[in-house]
Amino acid sequence: MTQVNPEFAEKLEDFGVDTTTDCFNCGTCAAICPLIYEHFPRKIIRYVQIGAKDRILDNYEDLWKCLHCGLCIQTCPREADPGDIIMGLRRFVVDQWRRS
Amino acid sequence: MVDEKRDQVTAPGPKVGVYVCHCGGNISDHVDVEKVCEDAKGIPGVVTVKNNMFMCSDPGQQLIMEDLKNGTIDRVVVASCAPSLHESTFRSAISRAGGNPYTYEHANIREQVSWVHHGEGATEKATRLVAAAVGKARELHPLEPFRVDAKRHATVIGGGVAGLRAAKDLADRGIQVVLIEKSPFLGGWTAHWDRLSPTEDDVSELIPELCRQVLDDPAVEVHTCSQVISFEGFIGNFRLGFRKEPPAEGAYAEEIERMKQSGADTGDFIPHVGVCPEPLPEASEEQTVETGVVVLATGFRPYTPRKGEYGYGEIKEVITLPDLIRIIAENRRAGGGQLLQVNGRKIRAMAMIHCVGSRQIPGIHEETEGRPLNQYCSRVCCGATLHAANLIRETHPGTRIFDFYRDIRTYGRGQEEVYEKASDNKVLFFRFEAQDPPEVSGNAGEGDFPVSVKVKDTLTFGEEIETKVDLVVLAVGMEPNDVSDLVEMMKLPVGADRFLLEVHPKLRPVELSVSGVLVAGTSQAPFDVGETCAAASAAAVKASAVLARGGFVELDPFIAEIDMGKCKGTGACVEACIVDGALRMVEMDLDGEKVLRPEVVPALCQGCGACTAVCPENAINVSGWTLKQYEKMVEMIVSEKLAA
Repeated sequence: MTQVNPEFAEKLEDFGVDTTTDCFNCGTCAAICPLIYEHFPRKIIRYVQIGAKDRILDNYEDLWKCLHCGLCIQTCPREADPGDIIMGLRRFVVDQWRRS
Repeated sequence: MVDEKRDQVTAPGPKVGVYVCHCGGNISDHVDVEKVCEDAKGIPGVVTVKNNMFMCSDPGQQLIMEDLKNGTIDRVVVASCAPSLHESTFRSAISRAGGNPYTYEHANIREQVSWVHHGEGATEKATRLVAAAVGKARELHPLEPFRVDAKRHATVIGGGVAGLRAAKDLADRGIQVVLIEKSPFLGGWTAHWDRLSPTEDDVSELIPELCRQVLDDPAVEVHTCSQVISFEGFIGNFRLGFRKEPPAEGAYAEEIERMKQSGADTGDFIPHVGVCPEPLPEASEEQTVETGVVVLATGFRPYTPRKGEYGYGEIKEVITLPDLIRIIAENRRAGGGQLLQVNGRKIRAMAMIHCVGSRQIPGIHEETEGRPLNQYCSRVCCGATLHAANLIRETHPGTRIFDFYRDIRTYGRGQEEVYEKASDNKVLFFRFEAQDPPEVSGNAGEGDFPVSVKVKDTLTFGEEIETKVDLVVLAVGMEPNDVSDLVEMMKLPVGADRFLLEVHPKLRPVELSVSGVLVAGTSQAPFDVGETCAAASAAAVKASAVLARGGFVELDPFIAEIDMGKCKGTGACVEACIVDGALRMVEMDLDGEKVLRPEVVPALCQGCGACTAVCPENAINVSGWTLKQYEKMVEMIVSEKLAA
C-alpha cells in the first residue's frame, strides 16, 4: 500500500517543479505522447502528486525515454507542463544518486 | 355520396375545423400528415382541414383564429403533442378569436403516435385519433368557467430562506401573509452556514437583512414555534389551523443555549442559529387563518450518516460538512492560525469524502428500515466542500487536505472556479468508484495520526493508497424534511426521492397538483441559496397571480353536473365521491314534493368521474367529458370507414 506523502511535491519545487497539483489526471499528455508508453507521462506525474518517491526512483529509466518534444506541454488543458515536470524529476533523480 | 352526408351534418350542426401539426418533423417524420388531412376531410362534421409546421406558433394559431372569426368553424380539433403541453395554448387562441375555449378537443398524435409507432400504422392511428376527437368535438357545448371568491391572503409554511423570500415578495405585491415556522428561529439551515460558495456572501449579513425585511413589513405576520394542525377548503378559500407551543423538552436545545449565551435580543442574528423574532411561547395556543394560497417552503435537512458509515459515530474524528463549516467560522473568529483546530486539537491533515448520502446505488449502498436510498445528486455539496477546503487552505496554510470524490460536479456560474482554486491551493484529489469507497479506520496507538483513510484510487490506476489524517469530513447530501403530516393533510404529491413533486418539471415548476398550493425551495429538490430564492420568488408570483384578479379565482368548468330530470336520489354518487364535501345530499322541492337529491360543490369537485361511473340512471356527468362524448369517440375509433 502506497502512503501518501504530499511533502514530496513541495520538495520538488527545489528542482523547478511547481505545477504538479495543477494536473487533474485527464490523460491528454499520455494520449499525445509519441512514446505511447504505459500511460507516460500521466502516471509518473500522479506518483509525484501522491509523493510515491520510491516508484519514481524504481522507474527512473522512464524519465530518460522522454524526447522533450513539447507536445504534452502544448496540449495540457491545465497548463501543468508535464514535460517540464519530467525534466525536473531527472534533476531530482540525479541529485539522489549524487547523495547516495 | 360523401358530400351529400357532409352537407346534412354541417348545415345546422357544429362545424369542426381540424388542424394537424408537423411538430417540425417530430410528427411528420413518422406520420403522413397530408394523408391524415385528406382522410380527415371525409369525417362527418369536418368543414376545414389545415396543417402547419408548428401549430403552436403564431402563424399556426392564426389559422384557427381566422377560421373562427369568419365563421367557417365553431369547433376546433388540433392534432399535435400531448394536451398537457399545448391544450391551454389553443384554448387561449379560441378565446382571443372570440370563441368559447371549451369548444376544443385535442388529439395527441406525437407522444401517442409518432414517438411510439411508425409506418402506415402510425398514419392510420393518427387518423383514428383525429376522428375520435372530431366525434367528441361535435358533442361539445360552450361552457363557462366558474368563479369562487378568493381571500387576498397567503400562508407561507417554513421560515428559511425560501419562506422568507416568498413572504416578502407576496407582501410587496400587497398581499397579507402569515408565515408559520416550526422552530423558534428564522433563517433555516442557511443560518447555520458561514460564507456561501461561490460568492463568499456572509450569511451573518444575508439572513439578518432578509429577516429584517420580513419582520419590518406590516403585511407579514410571523409565527415561530408553530405547526400546522389542520387544513381544509380549496383554492382561494383555505382554512389552515396551527398550534403555537413551547419547544418540546430537548428540542432545539443547542440553539436555545447558544441564543442565551450570545445575549442576543429578539430580532438579532445569532451565528449558526438564526434570528429569533419573538420570545418563546409559554403556553400552547391554537389559531386558524383563512387564506387564499399556501406556499410550502418546508426545506431540507442534512443527511445523517448511518452509524459506522465511514466511521461516523464510532471514530470521534469523523464529522460532517455542516460541523466543519461551523468549525471554520469559529477558527476564523478566534484569529486563524497556521493549523485548523478542532476542540484544541491541531489538524495537520484532513480528508474530505464526497457523495455521502447522495447518489446511493441499490445493491451497493445499504438500505435500512425507514431510510430509503438517496439516489439523486445533492448538487450543492461539491461546491460547498471545495469552498470549505479553500477557506481552510487560505486561512490555515499548514493544514493539508485530501479530497476523495466519485465525480466532482461544480455546476453553475462561478463554481468551476472553486474547483480551480482548490487545485491552486494544493488540495490533493483521489477518485473512487461507488463499489470501492474509502475505508476509514482509527489507528489507535499506531503512528501519530489518529485516523487512516485507505482507497483504491482510480487516478493512480487502481492502486491502493493510504492517507493518515487528524480529521475526516463527510460531505453529506440533502434530504427533504419529514413533512408526512402535511402531505397527509393537504394531499400533496411526493416524488420517489421523497421531495415534493411539481406539476411539470419544466413548464410548471413551482405548482403542486393541489390547486392553490405552491412549492418553494429545497422541499422540492436540492438547491443552493440563489436557486432557492429564484424558486421562492417564482412561487410568490404564481401565488399572487391567483389572487390578483380582484377577489375571485376562475376555475375550469370540468365538474360534475346533475340531470335532475333523470336523478332518482339513490345517493350512489355521494358514496362514490372521493373528495369530502364535493357532493352532498340536500333537501329540495321537486314538483311540489320534498326530496333528497345530490348537489355539487363546484370548487371542491375535481371532475374525476367516480360519480358518473356509479350512477344507475346516468344522471350525473362531468361537463366537457360526458359519457355521450366518450361514446362518440369510441364510435369513431371502431367505425368501419371513417368517412361513413
